[in-house]
Amino acid sequence: MSTALGKSVVATPPRRVSLARRIGRIEPVMLLWILLIGALLFLVAFPLGKLFLVSFETRGTGAFTLSNYVTAYGRARYIEAVVNSLTLGLASATIAVVLAVPMAWAVSRTDMPGKGLTWTVVLGAFILPPYLGAVGWILLAGPNSGFINVFWRWLTGSESPFFNVYSFEGLALVIALNAFPLVFIFVKSALDLVSSEMEDAANILGAGTWTAMRKVSLPLVWPAIMAGFIIVFLETIALFGTPAIIGIPARINVVTTQLWQFFEYPVRVEVAAAYAMPLLLVTAGMIATQKLLLSRKGYVSQTGKGGERRPIKLGAWRWVMFAWCAMVGMIAVAMPLFVLLQASFAKAWGRGLSLDNLTFANYYLLIFEHDMAMTSIWNTIWFSATAATIAVLLALMVAYIVNRRLVPFGEVLGFLALAPFVIPGIVMAIGFYAAYAAPPLSLYGTAALIILAFAARFLPIAYANSSSAIRAVHPEMEEAARILGSGRLHAIRMITAPLVKKSLLGGWLIVFIVASRELSAAIFLVGPRTRTMSVLLYDLSEAGNFEVLAAFGGLLLVVTLIFVGIGMKLVGRDFMLRRG
Amino acid sequence: MKLTLTKRQLLSVATGAAVGGPAFRAAAQTLPAHEKALYDAAKAEGELTWYSGQYNAESSEAMGRAFNDRFPGVHCNVVRSTSQVAFQRLSQDTRAGVRQCDVFSSTNSGHFTQLKREGKLTQYTPVNAAGMLPSIQNVDPDGYFHTSFLGLFLMIHNTQLVSEANAPKSWADALDPKWRNQLAVGHPGFSGAIGVWAVQMRKMYGWDYFTKLERNKPLIGRSSQDPVTTLNSGERSVGLCVPVGTTALAMSRGNPLKLIYPTEGVLATISPSAIPSNAPHPNAAKLFMEFQASKAGSEAVRDYYNEPLRGDVAPAPGARPLSEITLLAPSIAEQETGVPEVREAWRDTFGI
Repeated sequence: MSTALGKSVVATPPRRVSLARRIGRIEPVMLLWILLIGALLFLVAFPLGKLFLVSFETRGTGAFTLSNYVTAYGRARYIEAVVNSLTLGLASATIAVVLAVPMAWAVSRTDMPGKGLTWTVVLGAFILPPYLGAVGWILLAGPNSGFINVFWRWLTGSESPFFNVYSFEGLALVIALNAFPLVFIFVKSALDLVSSEMEDAANILGAGTWTAMRKVSLPLVWPAIMAGFIIVFLETIALFGTPAIIGIPARINVVTTQLWQFFEYPVRVEVAAAYAMPLLLVTAGMIATQKLLLSRKGYVSQTGKGGERRPIKLGAWRWVMFAWCAMVGMIAVAMPLFVLLQASFAKAWGRGLSLDNLTFANYYLLIFEHDMAMTSIWNTIWFSATAATIAVLLALMVAYIVNRRLVPFGEVLGFLALAPFVIPGIVMAIGFYAAYAAPPLSLYGTAALIILAFAARFLPIAYANSSSAIRAVHPEMEEAARILGSGRLHAIRMITAPLVKKSLLGGWLIVFIVASRELSAAIFLVGPRTRTMSVLLYDLSEAGNFEVLAAFGGLLLVVTLIFVGIGMKLVGRDFMLRRG
Repeated sequence: MKLTLTKRQLLSVATGAAVGGPAFRAAAQTLPAHEKALYDAAKAEGELTWYSGQYNAESSEAMGRAFNDRFPGVHCNVVRSTSQVAFQRLSQDTRAGVRQCDVFSSTNSGHFTQLKREGKLTQYTPVNAAGMLPSIQNVDPDGYFHTSFLGLFLMIHNTQLVSEANAPKSWADALDPKWRNQLAVGHPGFSGAIGVWAVQMRKMYGWDYFTKLERNKPLIGRSSQDPVTTLNSGERSVGLCVPVGTTALAMSRGNPLKLIYPTEGVLATISPSAIPSNAPHPNAAKLFMEFQASKAGSEAVRDYYNEPLRGDVAPAPGARPLSEITLLAPSIAEQETGVPEVREAWRDTFGI
């Protein structure tokens, strides 16, 4: 219906209309379309294309060569880093799924108590920047001094630590503890759509609650679980801060820390580009596998026939589920946050918890004396806000054109807007560096480079959000306005825009928050005047002063919480957790 | 956040009026002629950007503030990181054809001979350098770079975990198997000083030093300062090649640390600063080079427990005088060729 109408409006204007009017009617959308194509090419296609080309260039001369690939993959250590990254990605994604799926099921389908608390846990883990969580976990699970291990030794008299954060398991767990909200959001919103009737049917046929869950509810949301798994995998292999902070002491070299080495003097962007290429292949392979696995079965859980959704009564088991959620909350949020806060108010962290060890000096230093701290907070806010605005506006226009099928090949736009989703952030950053840092644009060290990279990196989030917002608005309302004589852009402004405003604001805030904690893209692109909070935190982490580092982390959380608070006020309590 | 920003601005305006005003007049009156001339030229440029891997974050920030106080109207942007990272940023700038850095300071002297050979440095000898300790003057006969940091790197121990009597006495002692899982050290891929130290150890003991060190499974961080944090927490008990300044600062806050002066000698990084030839604010850069060599500059870093560069500035309380210490320092040529070699060898030996 909408398709037919939309096409007729654009493609076959009424006869006997003057050429000028015809152009007047068609041009705005076509122009917009061309502009959007240009913007997406600039943000997504060109940096990646450039990265691909650069990987075949000789440094200095630009002549064709394959030697970059030889250098990049010519040493066992470099290949080992790739293997480590992939293994780590799989491990973290698996842990994240194990943590998150029971939580999502319990919150969505059951009468578990403390759902509000579970929301808070997920939200908390989502806004805690990964490297800050990593520092928290070093304080908690350092093999000799970590609180957990000290307690364990005291309790059991054991010689060996309970859990060593400087290990592959430690690294994988710390990453998963930060990334599981992504799986939770995906799986919970999918479970929300499964109607109780399907579980009822299983129950009637003799299946208990657990069998119904195992055989009916979970298989139905299998696509969401896989999507969550893949996104955590991608986030993990793109992560820089946590592998640098935990991976180096644990002697685990990964792709991102190896890429960093290629940026040592002399800067070898060409080798870095060649090194990054196979990552794209791996990602493409994962997406293809996902398609293959999902194509064999049907996963339709939403039909036009209503469908009741009622919580499953778990009885005593609901406390078991609650304990699981509480445990995840403890290890993902409460414990790391507590040790960080303690360190941030400590004069000498080595002296532990005591009243005479309390001070505000670390905060005072950062707020009033530090040359960069306040500048970096301001940079973070305005870079992230501008990037979020660009991403949401661009995504909104693309989503509108694609969903209303205003132009032929609109799907191309949609594809480009979603493409950064499958590109590790660090590869994206190197692409931006290769494409725009040097002349003619010479954007290196400018705010524009970081803003554009952030906008491109988080465009898929904004697009998914805008797309579902636009889809939720039936075209008939616009059509009514247009029948009454309104132009398309006027109709959008007066009717569609007000209707999608709220969910767009939600999307804007999510992009803002993830951009404000982004490190792996920023670390390759910052200049002296454009350092963001995350980069400064990283710099502070190697300054031998965890007290100040923790205090700066505290400031970062305060900034984020202010924006989360605004979001909750304007959009609703669960704005970050609705699947966009 | 807006509130804190405004507060900070208010504060700086307030101090500017209350303190900066008279201080400015006082400073302007007492400035020597050569500084006065540079200051006048630098005011038109308004700022400079300092890439530094030498002093720790607190000292670098203090240096920047002291400069700003002495020369109101010229602001020093402090960009502190590890030395290899600072050099990496400078290389990225060059590669991208961007001019950002006005003064470059690194603990790896090899960086400077390399930049000098490539014609990327400005020739400038600070007048104030004549007042520095004679032994650290004229590191470059052509005057392209000058000492701005006299870093002493030694061993430290956590006093709660290891008594002074039991602590290792020499660099070689650290190889004793009884220190297995007890040691902490930085990484030459990040820290310039660790690179220089590795060159020195290799010179004294051969690379064997590090294959033996690996058997003791040291906890490897990035910066040479990382062991300070690791020892503060009690995660490890002995740190190798740790700067005196950061340790003394942590000790002054009450952390349970103590310095060990190894019997072979203390690693001294006599590290220079230079002005890149494409520095966007050349006069401000020269003024900052003068400041680093001046009495005021040495006093600023001394207050954070660093070695003063001049004889007319008293060392930090409790510091052992230079005359009583054996200094170990590879030559600049050894550093330039040696550091990249040990960096690779390190990665092969330690796997990271």
